[in-house]
Amino acid sequence: MKKRWKRVLIALPVVLVIGAGAYAWLNRTDPADGKAPSLAGAPPSSDPVARGEYLTRAADCIACHVTPGGKPFAGGLAFKLPFGTIYSSNITPDPDTGIGRYTDEEFVRAVREGIRRDGKHLYPAFPYTSYTELSRADVLAIKAYLFTLPKVRQPNRENDIGFPFNQRWAMGFWNAAFFRSHRFEPDANRSEAWNRGAYLAGALAHCGECHTPRNIGFAMSKGSLLAGETVNGWRAWNITSDATHGIGAWPDAAVAQYLSTGHADGRGTAGGPMGEAVDHSLQYLDAADISALVTWLRTVPAKEGKDPVVVDAGAPGLRASNELLPGSDPSASDMGRQLFAGACASCHQWNGPGRQTPQAGLAGTRGVNDPSGANVVGIILEGVSMRVRDQDIYMPAFAQTFNDAEVAALANYVVHHFGGKAGTVTPAEVAKRRAE
Amino acid sequence: MTVLRINGEDHDVDVPPDMPLLWVLRDVIGLTGTKFGCGIAQCGACTVHLAGKPVRSCQLPVSVIGGNEITTIEAIGGTPEGKRVQEAWLALDVVQCGYCQSGQIMSAAALLAQTPQPTDADIDAAMSGNICRCATYVRIREGIHQAASGRPLGLQVIVDGERP
Ligand code: FES
Ligand code: FES
Repeated sequence: MKKRWKRVLIALPVVLVIGAGAYAWLNRTDPADGKAPSLAGAPPSSDPVARGEYLTRAADCIACHVTPGGKPFAGGLAFKLPFGTIYSSNITPDPDTGIGRYTDEEFVRAVREGIRRDGKHLYPAFPYTSYTELSRADVLAIKAYLFTLPKVRQPNRENDIGFPFNQRWAMGFWNAAFFRSHRFEPDANRSEAWNRGAYLAGALAHCGECHTPRNIGFAMSKGSLLAGETVNGWRAWNITSDATHGIGAWPDAAVAQYLSTGHADGRGTAGGPMGEAVDHSLQYLDAADISALVTWLRTVPAKEGKDPVVVDAGAPGLRASNELLPGSDPSASDMGRQLFAGACASCHQWNGPGRQTPQAGLAGTRGVNDPSGANVVGIILEGVSMRVRDQDIYMPAFAQTFNDAEVAALANYVVHHFGGKAGTVTPAEVAKRRAE
Repeated sequence: MTVLRINGEDHDVDVPPDMPLLWVLRDVIGLTGTKFGCGIAQCGACTVHLAGKPVRSCQLPVSVIGGNEITTIEAIGGTPEGKRVQEAWLALDVVQCGYCQSGQIMSAAALLAQTPQPTDADIDAAMSGNICRCATYVRIREGIHQAASGRPLGLQVIVDGERP
């Protein structure tokens, strides 16, 4: 018995040393500055603040660092996670409540390593997991731009999460398991445009943070890049090159149109979080950078993804309809059809091309072909309000108008009529979405 | 300058491209027969025809109109369906306060142009987006049937002593 304890006593320090070594090794910082491909909208020769503004847009910082109606970049947006709520921080140059006291070194470390000024870990809701690929010059251009913004005095909101998740040091272990500090490495075998697109998508726009499935540790699963995930109830679609389940069948022009305007004729209109990404970020990208993004997206390995959606552009309900009338469709729910007639048909039309504007087109979109109706429910509840290229794109929110049973019936009708599938939305799910 | 073809005439208007057609019609050109109800394509009061199809002008930015012909309530009587709808409307006294009725007539005329003999279900599907605060829905339905069939319907049958 005694002998065994002795052995344990000798082994323990060894295990600890090996463990600490492994921890340090896995958490090592890539010391490289990194070299970024030159973006069409932000050539290295341009003024650093202008470059920073473009990069800040491309990285869509504002998406999270503002609350609806709040001061830009002052933070405070809530992230409801399974274990509690965390809030984004103030990144205006206010010295006391913002990032005004950050040195270059501290800012670069925060953005690329997820470690804030006081040495504590940030939660990966802040996508340092993607921004780690940024070049030092690009991070500092973003800093230069942020430091020209008005200082907003707005203290950061305390996170509302319980033990053990409120222990920021524990993120060190998450990082050891799921995060590798690294810079973008251009692929010499690919074109300049491809590399630019890869950098834009991976390091800046952080597409994967929503579109790449998460593993059990809540980290992006590398093997299924952009194969689709559900985020806050919204489906971030499979955007791999898969022709049936991804966007492989979309012509280049359609992908470019979608990214730069939030709409591709007969294929879809961005709403929810993707609508915000277009609204705040993608619409401002230079056409050459959009085309680089398309070039890169084309090469993302095809994957079927979770709950794959197959678009049926010739669903029976669609074929039976014209723009004013739904045709006969005895299997459709009466409640859903009546609600659609009263509230939806005047913009979407029964055969779905969109009446006033093409953005209202429903035919051929993945949302209406998804039996879970996730994005249809989201749009019905929240509506759309964005401004793209000097045009308002608007749909009223029906959360206050329809009850849970009505939203479910309407969503299932839309999936049935426009997608030819049996929608599975239940009133309980709608209630859950409202809370999300 | 944008050129809009409205009721057979060209109008040169100097308006921002995102201005909804309803504003151009009412405030810039002075065609006030088309009404503003909700501004969010939910009531139908602002319905006009664009290339013969009904559209909610409150949500139609001028920039997407191009050279398409616009017809408003002021000129719908010049189309065969519009004329029949207006006659039926008068005969049946469909109108109560009248606020929604420009839109109702525009939607009804568009329905008849596409479906000359609509059923009740067709009328519901095509007209549900046109809201009437005075609840003239029963007479609207009769009006559309009368315009479609040419036969008198409703209370006028009693008043005029005719049988359908
Ligand atoms: S004012 Fe256009 S639909 Fe109500
Ligand atoms: S007649 Fe008054 S609103 Fe329709």
